[in-house]
Amino acid sequence: MNLERLIEAGEEKGFEVEQDADYGAGPIDVVWNINVHPALPNIKFGFIVLGGEEEGGSKDTEDNQLSIRKIEEATFRGLRSGLDKVYLVTENEEMEKSVSGKIEWLASHGSLIRLDAISLGLYPEQQESSVIIPSQQRVPEGEKIRKEKEREREEKFDKHNRPQGERRENGKGIKV
Amino acid sequence: MNQQGENAYSDSEQRTQEKRQLLETLKTPVIQLGRDMGYEIIENHDLGAGPVHVVWLFKPGSESLPDMRLGFICLTEFSNSSINEGIARAMLNLIDKLVFVVTTETMTKQVKDAIESMPDRSILQLRKYVTVLTPSTLVSKQGIKGARERRSSQTGGEVI
Repeated sequence: MNLERLIEAGEEKGFEVEQDADYGAGPIDVVWNINVHPALPNIKFGFIVLGGEEEGGSKDTEDNQLSIRKIEEATFRGLRSGLDKVYLVTENEEMEKSVSGKIEWLASHGSLIRLDAISLGLYPEQQESSVIIPSQQRVPEGEKIRKEKEREREEKFDKHNRPQGERRENGKGIKV
Repeated sequence: MNQQGENAYSDSEQRTQEKRQLLETLKTPVIQLGRDMGYEIIENHDLGAGPVHVVWLFKPGSESLPDMRLGFICLTEFSNSSINEGIARAMLNLIDKLVFVVTTETMTKQVKDAIESMPDRSILQLRKYVTVLTPSTLVSKQGIKGARERRSSQTGGEVI
């Protein structure tokens, strides 16, 4: 995978960029050392490429899915290496979505560590945010109002068109 | 060529079989000791992050206190990726403390060194979370008082 974009982006922003670093827990493909302020310690962003090498006889990227095992291993490789954030770089957008989704799911169990706070899926050409937005924020306010109006209309329709014995009451099913 | 392929397949099959047997050998004394000590035992505990081979479930006896889970993951060979994966599985499966069960004392040292060699600035203090031992250490040290217990009994610590 071509990581030139990532390296260039880091250098353009003035960060110190390391390639193929290894701090003792396994290889990290790219590291951005960000100096936010002379009085503060550097922040380290690590990028690890998730490969699709053979696993159990078949390539696990054939259906754009990467195994949970690989995601866990790479994230903890980053954590054990002292990185502040670990970005998992995938081949394409679909894989990136699958990885970010799995991270969210693993974080949802409420464990000691919030996996979604430290790691995220990315693909090299990514321009838009990779953060998964909860549906409550994603669905605009207007959408909810529209749904309420639809429900009211359906209720009215039910009231005037169904035979009296089969009318729906408060959405609790059909009254017999 | 075909013959070679078949041989390679049977070799890998044999290795998998041996690994499985070794895993069982490592698990058995952990399960036995946990049962003897009266803990609830869960084999292959998995909430979705991958199996934790054995869990001792400790119930403090009060409804207002949470259960404690001591997880055991058996390592048949030393590699950084298997350590990374083991820690991830334990943390994400809500294990409170992790014990790596390894085959030899040499491997105990290798794994311990790998865990303790983390950069100082890391957000995790893994040596507080992970213990490494062999099954024989676990069984032989049963009933021996730890340093802290010894100290409290010497200084006349209060027994509640």
